[in-house]
Amino acid sequence: MDQQKVRSFTERYLQAYQCHLIESAPTHIKTQLSIKADKDLLNRPFYWMYVERMNLPPQPAQFCFIFDPEHRPAELRGEYLFFGSPRFSQMLNSAQKHGRFVRLYQQPLSKARNDFSSKPYTPWLGINFKVSYICDQKKDRICYLGMNLRTGNIVEPFYPKINSFDWTSKLPPKRHLIEPRFHFAESVDELEYYLKEQIEQEDPTWAYEANKRLELELKQLDHYYPELGKRTEEQEKERSQRRREIIWQYQPRVEVQVINAGIFYMEADPFLE
Amino acid sequence: MLTTTNKKVRELRIEASILKHTKKSPIDTVERGNDMQFPIRWDRTWFHPFQDLLESDTGWAGWEHFQLAIEAAETQIVPQFDTLLSLQQIQGFNPLPHQVDVVRRVIGEMRGRAILADEVGLGKTIEAGLILKEYMIRGLIKNALILVPSSLVLQWTRELNQKFQIPAMAQKKAWMWDQYPIIVASMDTAKREPHRDHILSKNYDILIVDEAHKLKNRRTKNWQFINEIKKKYCLLLTATPVQNELNELYNLVTLLKPGQLGQQSSFQSEYVAGKRKAKNEEQLREEIGRVLIRNRRRDQQLNLTKRIVQTIPIELSHAERTLYEAVTDFVRNQYSQAADLKSMLALLVLQKEVCSSRDAVFHTLFKLFQKGEKHKHHLSPEVAHLVELLRQVTYSSKVQKAVELIQNIPDKVIIFTEYRATQDMLIRALAAANIYAIPYRGGFNRNKKDWMMELFQKRAQVMVATEAGGEGINLQFCHHIINYDMPWNPMRVEQRIGRVHRLGQKNDVYIYNFATKNTIEEHIIWLLHEKIQLFETVIGELEVILENLEKEESVEQRLMQIILEAKDQEQVRERLGEWGDKFTQKKKEIVEHNIVQEEIVYGSAKS
Repeated sequence: MDQQKVRSFTERYLQAYQCHLIESAPTHIKTQLSIKADKDLLNRPFYWMYVERMNLPPQPAQFCFIFDPEHRPAELRGEYLFFGSPRFSQMLNSAQKHGRFVRLYQQPLSKARNDFSSKPYTPWLGINFKVSYICDQKKDRICYLGMNLRTGNIVEPFYPKINSFDWTSKLPPKRHLIEPRFHFAESVDELEYYLKEQIEQEDPTWAYEANKRLELELKQLDHYYPELGKRTEEQEKERSQRRREIIWQYQPRVEVQVINAGIFYMEADPFLE
Repeated sequence: MLTTTNKKVRELRIEASILKHTKKSPIDTVERGNDMQFPIRWDRTWFHPFQDLLESDTGWAGWEHFQLAIEAAETQIVPQFDTLLSLQQIQGFNPLPHQVDVVRRVIGEMRGRAILADEVGLGKTIEAGLILKEYMIRGLIKNALILVPSSLVLQWTRELNQKFQIPAMAQKKAWMWDQYPIIVASMDTAKREPHRDHILSKNYDILIVDEAHKLKNRRTKNWQFINEIKKKYCLLLTATPVQNELNELYNLVTLLKPGQLGQQSSFQSEYVAGKRKAKNEEQLREEIGRVLIRNRRRDQQLNLTKRIVQTIPIELSHAERTLYEAVTDFVRNQYSQAADLKSMLALLVLQKEVCSSRDAVFHTLFKLFQKGEKHKHHLSPEVAHLVELLRQVTYSSKVQKAVELIQNIPDKVIIFTEYRATQDMLIRALAAANIYAIPYRGGFNRNKKDWMMELFQKRAQVMVATEAGGEGINLQFCHHIINYDMPWNPMRVEQRIGRVHRLGQKNDVYIYNFATKNTIEEHIIWLLHEKIQLFETVIGELEVILENLEKEESVEQRLMQIILEAKDQEQVRERLGEWGDKFTQKKKEIVEHNIVQEEIVYGSAKS
């Protein structure tokens, strides 16, 4: 992630979290943080606890993010922000914490004037899963799934497709909602099942290799300690600790987390399923 | 239309599914064939919060927020098992190719358990920091324990924070063990109660031990303590994994991976032919190569730049000469009267100081006699005489030389002195000559040190540093060193030069040694420069040689003794020469021994 991207993410974050821009130059941005942003970015829980307990007027801080420390004005006080800096990680985490769940309606595509009848909106459940493949190493992928709550049809990738639409949090005029046929819990089940099948279909070489390494390590350990019955109590304890460590280190597993999810009401069939 | 029974069935199903989502992260196991299985863990903690929102229909996030959250998640994912992400996430320095290579091998081949055994100065700390960073980015490390000698705790903490943006904390109090996930602590503290209990009750994602050659004996408390710590990954850092016998290496490897070199008994019979001899060397090397990485200077084309050494002879003025002779006589007299260790050290300081500056001598004389003579109303005649001679010295030939020299160097210069008083005097004199000089010493707090470093890099031409300030600072941007006065201990000298002449230095380094003519200083510089050839090349084995040479007393004391007990100048030269020969002999022995060890353990140098 280059500095240009770090900057544009920062700008959008500040805007989305109502931080007022004081100064914006090519090298830096000065901003008045909102309460939410201050709490997430500046690590001062005691201040916020104090303000809230004592019922004082909150005073979120001003902050200066520097993107180009080489060319900044000499007297400028601020903090260098880059991909990998703790502050930027905090911003990424803050964005994930507050952008978890949405319920949105599609903005009407066309504003036909002589359209007097109300149009139906279909409910969809969209979930963005993060799938992590873990052994002594790790990789992830994001799986963007969506399910039509009328038909049960599953679309992948969902989010990238709806990303180009305009969305609003209020139902637009001359639109009405169709009742979902699938219960929320049911549709989560369906999507999880879909994802589970997908994971099962994937190339399992990584897990196979990890298991092989695991077995080799355990075997080597067995060779090291005397055989069962001849070990001292101490050796026994040490051996089982080592075994636990090896399993911890190598055992292949998949972890699935939900990045965010939402209910999306859309015009009949935007993707021609 | 659903029939009533169908409806019932469906309701039951939904209920069951809600129930399922209520449990915290239940585990589904995916099974495949007989030999292939891995569990899938579903995080379902999000389910209820979402359902609550559905019911209350308030508190939803906006579309912008939703998009930002996904983008944030996308920047944090790890797309592949074996790429290095840490390299894009560090700022301000570029790791060297051999360091990156170590990171790749430790993660890719050694699976996070390794001995990092690079020679001194090749950047083991950087390698360990990068490995830690990489695993942290991948979410494979959340907590870490880093055990180092107590003198290095702060330095490690700082490097991890500044170079790698890893929020490491230096351990100070027992409660900190639970409070901070990334902790740097001294081994000596950690192994004692109550700290020991805290550490042994935890599971550490990684354990890093610096100076791990202290773990070569498995009967020691250190070894047993490290062995008991529960850890997933483990890095042991040492430049000398084998000092004396092969068993030392066996013990280190056993901490990482018991059984990697077989059982103790089979290791003995398979590989050990004698204390320092191995058999089946090729196989042994192969096994060792699976857990140990060693980079050597000669294998890495590291292109350390040249050192260009120049002795600057300085003629003392008449007044200075008189003072020098008087102090030297005084020291000799005192030495013959009371030869206890404490007063000897004070005399040693005095003798060295008279070669540095008048001010330094004055401070020490003052302190010396504040203690010994406070019950008297007047100074003893000898001391009064010295003070009188001090007054006669109105200017310093050395300072003048320093100013002259610096005025002819169009670059940054670092001046090292051992004495505060000399430091102050130099700063004053340079300021008078319109040269911007800043002081640096061990007593400064961290902020002040950082500030002075920044000033030196950006504004000042000269930094005047005392000995204590010599450690822990890196000054690759400067390549002129003045040794204004000379430490008698070669280690100290090497540490000074090492601040500047290190990886990252792009220019040849100029070293100017100030030597006042016909003084002890001249003898010492002759010994260090010509006799043991300390300056031109890095003596990698220096520490070991000195340890071997002076078991009981310090090098300074030994040299002091030689000087004081000699009858005349000629004899001083002769005896210092003998000491130098002993040094050279030891060096030869150690180098030869090391070559043999290297051959056995790591094979000959790559050509």
